[in-house]
Amino acid sequence: MKNILLNILIIFLISYALSTQAQIKSKVWYDGNARVMYDRDILTGDNLDQKDTVSTRSNGTGFSKIDLGLHFTPINEIEISSSIRLQNDFGGMWGNRNSVTLRSLSASGVINNKIRFGIGDLFLKQSKYTLYNYSQDLSHFEPDVFSFYREYVNYENYYKENYWRLQGIQTNFSYNMYNIIEQIDIDAFTSRIRGAQWLGDPELLMFGGTLFIRLNEKIKIGSHYINTFEIKSTSNTDIAYFNPVFTAKFMYSDKFLDMYPLDILFEGGVSKRGWEGDGFAPETQGMFFNSTFQSKINNSNLRLNFKLVDTDFRSIGAQTRRLNYSLVPSSYAYYGNSYTQRKIGLLDIISDPDIYNQRLSTSLMDYNPIYSATLPYGDATPNRIGTEVSIEEIKITGFLKLNIDAKYFTELIGQGTTQKRNFLNGAISSKLHINKIFDISVPIIIDASAFAENIKRSGSEFERINLKTNLISSGILVGLTDNLSLVCGSKLFSAVGNEYLIERNTYDQIIDYNTANFDISEMILVGGIQYYFEKDTYITMQYNHFNMLDNNILEDEFSMGRLVFMFNMNL
Amino acid sequence: MKKITILLFAFLAVLFSCEKNDIEGPNLNDLYGPLDILESFKIVGDSVDFENDEILYFTASFSKIVDWKIKIRGLTSGSIKIISGKSNYINLNNSSWEGSSTELPFFVSENCDVELSFEIHDDIFQDTLYISSAKDYNNESTVLITDFEAGFNPNFTGFFQAGCTKSLTTGGSGEGAKHLQQFGTCDWDWLIGYIDYYSNFWLNPNTLVSDPSQVYFNIMIKGDSTISIVDGVPNSLFKLEFYEDENNDGYYDASSEDRYDYEFDVNWNGWKMISINYNDVENLIAPPNNSGDGIRNPSQIYNVRTLLLANPNSGFAKADVDFLIWSIGGPILN
Repeated sequence: MKNILLNILIIFLISYALSTQAQIKSKVWYDGNARVMYDRDILTGDNLDQKDTVSTRSNGTGFSKIDLGLHFTPINEIEISSSIRLQNDFGGMWGNRNSVTLRSLSASGVINNKIRFGIGDLFLKQSKYTLYNYSQDLSHFEPDVFSFYREYVNYENYYKENYWRLQGIQTNFSYNMYNIIEQIDIDAFTSRIRGAQWLGDPELLMFGGTLFIRLNEKIKIGSHYINTFEIKSTSNTDIAYFNPVFTAKFMYSDKFLDMYPLDILFEGGVSKRGWEGDGFAPETQGMFFNSTFQSKINNSNLRLNFKLVDTDFRSIGAQTRRLNYSLVPSSYAYYGNSYTQRKIGLLDIISDPDIYNQRLSTSLMDYNPIYSATLPYGDATPNRIGTEVSIEEIKITGFLKLNIDAKYFTELIGQGTTQKRNFLNGAISSKLHINKIFDISVPIIIDASAFAENIKRSGSEFERINLKTNLISSGILVGLTDNLSLVCGSKLFSAVGNEYLIERNTYDQIIDYNTANFDISEMILVGGIQYYFEKDTYITMQYNHFNMLDNNILEDEFSMGRLVFMFNMNL
Repeated sequence: MKKITILLFAFLAVLFSCEKNDIEGPNLNDLYGPLDILESFKIVGDSVDFENDEILYFTASFSKIVDWKIKIRGLTSGSIKIISGKSNYINLNNSSWEGSSTELPFFVSENCDVELSFEIHDDIFQDTLYISSAKDYNNESTVLITDFEAGFNPNFTGFFQAGCTKSLTTGGSGEGAKHLQQFGTCDWDWLIGYIDYYSNFWLNPNTLVSDPSQVYFNIMIKGDSTISIVDGVPNSLFKLEFYEDENNDGYYDASSEDRYDYEFDVNWNGWKMISINYNDVENLIAPPNNSGDGIRNPSQIYNVRTLLLANPNSGFAKADVDFLIWSIGGPILN
């Protein structure tokens, strides 16, 4: 019944849009995305006849999707936007795998030409410590050959840059004052994070605001406030979660040596988190401090950052992770004669949208230290102090550019011991335009990056940790014509060493440690062709080979091939 | 700009100087660290005189918080006392022993083996101690019904089915030298036999308080855990009936006074102390046969009846008894 009503509503909206367009052409327009994808996963590896007699040898899935974005401006100050997904999964019959769903619905406008507002689906972002959707693990400096997977994953999960997609109301406005204070910018929102659940947790709401005051062209001060809380009366419970976070910012812009632009940012804040009415729940208070110096020297962006995040700093909007390790991968979730559950690996991280999370989490989500250990919860990772240096766009020659990023962090207090973990994390990427060296008209680009992370803790034998992870990624694009290219790429990952995997209770308190010894290597090889009609409109067909080997459990080696076809078009 | 830089460095200096010394989460050393004995295991108060309220305790300290267990075994009585804890030390506060038993029978004046062991470590430390006089459980906060040491009081009347046995026995007792054997097979009735322990003939007069939550009935029962072939549960069923004389006329009248019951399977082998809070006894008989004031009042108890029952189709039942005693404030073996 619900689907019928939804379909009627969608048909009405489309008809209305078309008829309106016919009458007032300038007030309706479309955008959206069309995607057709087909992939066939093929189980490969040695001795499959003995090691795995239960799994199918190949699996194919495919779909065509059109996300039709409709925008109306019934009056000049109001815009109503919706995105309707028409999806057809391959292999259905008589429409049983067809679906029409409403992907987003929102309205925005301006009141009195001064106050902007948005209602419905909103993309919200604040400070990196209050509301920020950090990129997924190991996505930094990724070669372009893998970008079509990344775009697909991000699009399916509503990840637009670092915004969280939430539902609610937002407003913002600014005043120019031309006295001691030049300008004030105010932004406020309220959102419903989780609806009421029958016999479940109460409703979870969030409201927040941002205030920026520009004192002059060099100095700006600001503040963010966000509060996430449960409404006790919406459930049969006496317990209600709350997590207010407040931050204050100071921004200074000037010229360094009268030549180089310099931006300085200081930000500090406090958080409180607890469960009202729960005698067992601790009420924790935490703080953070962040300072950033940013400049541009010889077209290179230089950034120096120092940050400290208290062990008890909790911010649901900034510490929720994209990757959800409690989910199982879509391809060959179970394999082998012992029907082993496959752990989420690098291929899943780059290509499987179903292992990602779209909801803010009230507690710290699990992470895998082999893929992300230095800052698993982004800049808001609790119990860290350290610095980060990054230089982007270092132009070595006209055809070679480098990016460098290095981090060194330690824990503020040790976990289970007075000894603290040290995290050393470095990444470098380069892009070499061969065609510019040899003056070839079609593009020939080599993209490469290397990432290394080392977690160390000294002390007694049982306290010692030493985990080294490396990822070397490369991609080569050889243009056959202006639009048609051969592409190939690789990712070689290894993790060797030991760590303690942390177990937390519902209040985020550490309750146990599990020893983990890693000797893991993963390999992804891709090769294929791609044809660009124009930017964001392309066809690509590739073959991927994936291998994951845990040298501690050799019999669980997993190998898979994948033939993937994707057509993508942004309308 | 210069001021900002100075302010920044001052702020960083303050931050770095505010280092916390605490740790997050449980101590790793306690979970994965080696166990070292920092102070060796010692007995403080050997040759203890429990009868005169002396106590004995143990000392030791370890390099980590660990689950430890001290087992004391009487070489004559076979009684066992277990003291356990989770800490990185053993001292007076967590290991004092006043002479009670965890597993019956009671300790007597005897030599004992002592063993200290740990839950996830193989280390074991052994020692011996001597008990110069055993604990006397009968004191000002108890009311002893009988311990059978002076024989079976014939005023404790009762009934046993033909062919079933009730006999005073010497040796192998839960307490002292004597206990009462009760066993038999009755294929025509659930009752093997019962005994009425009237309060006029208890070894101590009834000085129980009226607050039922403070009063515990304790009885040693020696079971044999025979499993019924009919229903698969232990064959011996034990029942306690407490009769209150609410009008103090020296007689229980079912039409105007209360009776409270408590029953349980005897599903163990050997001696075991059963302790029941008087608040937990139940008023099972419906009026008009049990029509008292409905208030549990231990000070008005006139008779305690013990019944040995068994399914008539399932054969042999046995439950020897010893040391029937009331305690005030807690079970006799606390």
